[in-house]
Amino acid sequence: MVGYTIRRFLALIPLLFAVVTITFFLMHAVQGGPFDSDRPLTENTRARLEEKYNLDGSLGEQYVYYLRNLGRGDLGISFSNDRPVRDIIADRFPVSLHLGLYAFVFALSMGLVLGVVAALHQNGRWDYATVFISTVGAALPPFILAPFLVWGFALKLDWFNVLSSDYGPISVLDWSWVWHDLTHMRQIVLPTVALGFLPAAFIARVTRASMLDVLRQDYIRTARSKGLDHFRVVMRHAIRNALIPVLTIAGPIFAGLITGSFIIERAFSIPGLGRSFIESVVNRDYGVIMGTTVFFAVIISVMNLVVDLAYAIVDPRIRL
Amino acid sequence: MTRSRWRMLLGIFAVLGVFSIAVACGDDDDEGDSAATQPAGGSPTQATNSGGAPKGTITIRAVQFENWDPHFSDFAQDISHFYMVNRGLYMLDLQNKPQPELADGMPKVSADGKVYTIKLKSGLKWSDGQPIKAEQFVAGIQRTCNPDVAGHYQFILDESVKGCHDYSAAGKEAADKKEQLRAAMGVKAIDDLTLEITLNQAQPTFTTILTMWPTFPTPTHKVAKVDDKWPGPMESAYTGPFMPSKYTEKNSLELVPNPNWSGAAKPKVEKIVLRYIDDPAVATQAYRAGEIDATVLPAAEFPAVKADSNLSKELNQFPATRTFGLAFNQRAGQVGEKMDLRLALSQAVDRDAMNQVVFKGVQTATTNWMPPDRSGLPLNAFKDQVGFNVTKAKESLSKAGYADGKGFPKLTLLLTDTTENKDLGAFLKDQWKKNLNIDVDLEFVDSKTRSTRYNTGAFQLVIAGWQEDYPDPENWYIGLRETGGSINKEGCSLPALDDLIKKAKVNTNDEERRKQYQEAEKLAVTNAQCNLPLWHVSALRLVKPYITGMKESKRAGDTFVMGDWNPENWATSKK
Repeated sequence: MVGYTIRRFLALIPLLFAVVTITFFLMHAVQGGPFDSDRPLTENTRARLEEKYNLDGSLGEQYVYYLRNLGRGDLGISFSNDRPVRDIIADRFPVSLHLGLYAFVFALSMGLVLGVVAALHQNGRWDYATVFISTVGAALPPFILAPFLVWGFALKLDWFNVLSSDYGPISVLDWSWVWHDLTHMRQIVLPTVALGFLPAAFIARVTRASMLDVLRQDYIRTARSKGLDHFRVVMRHAIRNALIPVLTIAGPIFAGLITGSFIIERAFSIPGLGRSFIESVVNRDYGVIMGTTVFFAVIISVMNLVVDLAYAIVDPRIRL
Repeated sequence: MTRSRWRMLLGIFAVLGVFSIAVACGDDDDEGDSAATQPAGGSPTQATNSGGAPKGTITIRAVQFENWDPHFSDFAQDISHFYMVNRGLYMLDLQNKPQPELADGMPKVSADGKVYTIKLKSGLKWSDGQPIKAEQFVAGIQRTCNPDVAGHYQFILDESVKGCHDYSAAGKEAADKKEQLRAAMGVKAIDDLTLEITLNQAQPTFTTILTMWPTFPTPTHKVAKVDDKWPGPMESAYTGPFMPSKYTEKNSLELVPNPNWSGAAKPKVEKIVLRYIDDPAVATQAYRAGEIDATVLPAAEFPAVKADSNLSKELNQFPATRTFGLAFNQRAGQVGEKMDLRLALSQAVDRDAMNQVVFKGVQTATTNWMPPDRSGLPLNAFKDQVGFNVTKAKESLSKAGYADGKGFPKLTLLLTDTTENKDLGAFLKDQWKKNLNIDVDLEFVDSKTRSTRYNTGAFQLVIAGWQEDYPDPENWYIGLRETGGSINKEGCSLPALDDLIKKAKVNTNDEERRKQYQEAEKLAVTNAQCNLPLWHVSALRLVKPYITGMKESKRAGDTFVMGDWNPENWATSKK
């Protein structure tokens, strides 16, 4: 497994190279530059800005320059606010991570509970209710769900706020964020639900299907015939084995949630990385586009690796 | 699965969790920059108020600034921030007349109109208690002209201030050459309280220019060299009525009264919170829920708010200083080269119907380029020449050589891809088909692509407009309507118009000058030059009834809320 892990990490290098190259040339192929607006800059001003941000050379020169800086760990500078991209990611990612963690916990808890309950009551009331909820969840995109939640729970019922919290960084050394979050639940619940509902529905469907499959296995019948009580059979034998497919999807879901959602971050005015990334595309802020893409590529690759390793641990039949 | 495997699995997730948290906490040294909590200088409790101590908090919807450097930025949201915390030598009053702010009286102008001598008020201090000196205004103007700062508003001083153009064009010169050019600029401090600015030629609007952010002073104790980076919100020093006390990027900026503010109107609120909300529709919901006290209202929500008996009382609608119209590429060989064709397309558009159908009645249909407040002309002054008239439109098209639309060349209208523009494009296409029997194609692109194509002449017809930089008619003509002007993107050219602008530019008789611009307006619109106006933009703002001072301080150019250039006038009675 150690060899496999090392090989996978080494494979990240060509993968990142490909991501950087494709993103770089696609980004420059799109019309419009970072300094274009209806009020054009003077030629002198434009020339100085292009020189300052190394946009005055040929595309090939700019590419080589970017790769050289990237090799030194320099993600570049934002053209719109002149800040290092590394600092922008360091500011924005903790916010998306914070919200994403809540959404992941919500999605996992809701999905697992609904999936297990539905499977244990197949074709019963609970099963139909779960199927209904998961179908609604899968059919409602976040840009519909978020305004609906705001309208119902913030404006009509006044249970929660329209605007979300500032989501300070989370830390294992300083737990003050827990108290902050507990006292800001009015601002945290709606974005968490809006972001986590779709994955919760997906997890519920996968869990239900997996549980139904496991409950029909011989070893479950054997466990029952040995006289084990229902609770022990379900908890010890059924759920554990039913979790393997859930684990497979949990990694990409986790990566997707913590890297920020433009829709949710915009809908609740949360200063996360998803909002920052989309804004950079609109503004042709090349530095932020490249830096964030590289960062996302690393996060998603690492999450996929973790899932593969975890999968091998959960299922002894898989050899890496 | 065995127990040991479960433990291993949990271990992996624990490692992953620690990794994630480490990433999240990996830049603690930046925290002071992004979420600092100490005021930038002094203590808010030191602020005095002739009308009593500042009370309460006002929270408004704002948009995150792009750049905190007043000598660099040209973004509307940045400019509104600048006026909350910074002031210059002069400030426009609510009638748009420049009045002394940090200057002690109006400038003394030489007989030839080229040399401005300005005295500062004595005892002025930055928010951190350091004295404000004349040399810091010199440094501010030099910074705007500095090629290495490469400010977006360099153009506003480039041709005016002596030596500014030479300095701004010296980007590739050696450092000592740049230093020579900087020193040779026509701006100097005679003493700590006296400033002298020399212009290339008389400019009747220069005092108005001195109200603008590119001329704000530089806190030289924070920005030691002329091309040093401008400090962040929590590190800089300020000359305005408020100063930052807490800043979290993309989330909020909190302002407290500047204890050293020298203006006559003292801040009346303890704190102003600028809550950064990108989507105005989200801001409207937050306003409804009482989470913010004032916001801009998106036009799409106008009918619903107007129908709401409570909210409609809190709605304010007033003219902004922005006009949009049909901008034709008039260069040789282009479809828009023919004046009669341009006239025909303008005369075929029912602007009142457009306003009702597309904009829900929010905007003001027009045939004027300058808003009436700026030109002194009545609204729709040119309706007989370019306004909706199907008979005249058909005649114009016939004169252009396309009677009843026959043989009309391929013409594409370029628009930014927004919901509103989709409606607008469909409306215009339908009008031209119905009234002229011609087919115009629509092309929707993102805003940057549209701007690039508009700036480089890669378009036939585009919906474009102008938002004024400063309240004077010249700002609607200089560079925009002159042959070869730096912002004349349509390639339009009318020698009589050029002559008129040239004369008006240096005319120190204000009444005569304004009449010259009225004449220019007539020439430009009736000859269908550059842009055929369709509508003036209306500002829509919501403000809670317990807030005072916003409505009273409103300006046509307000960005976030009414009166956002004069937050010292705001007050709240909310407990």
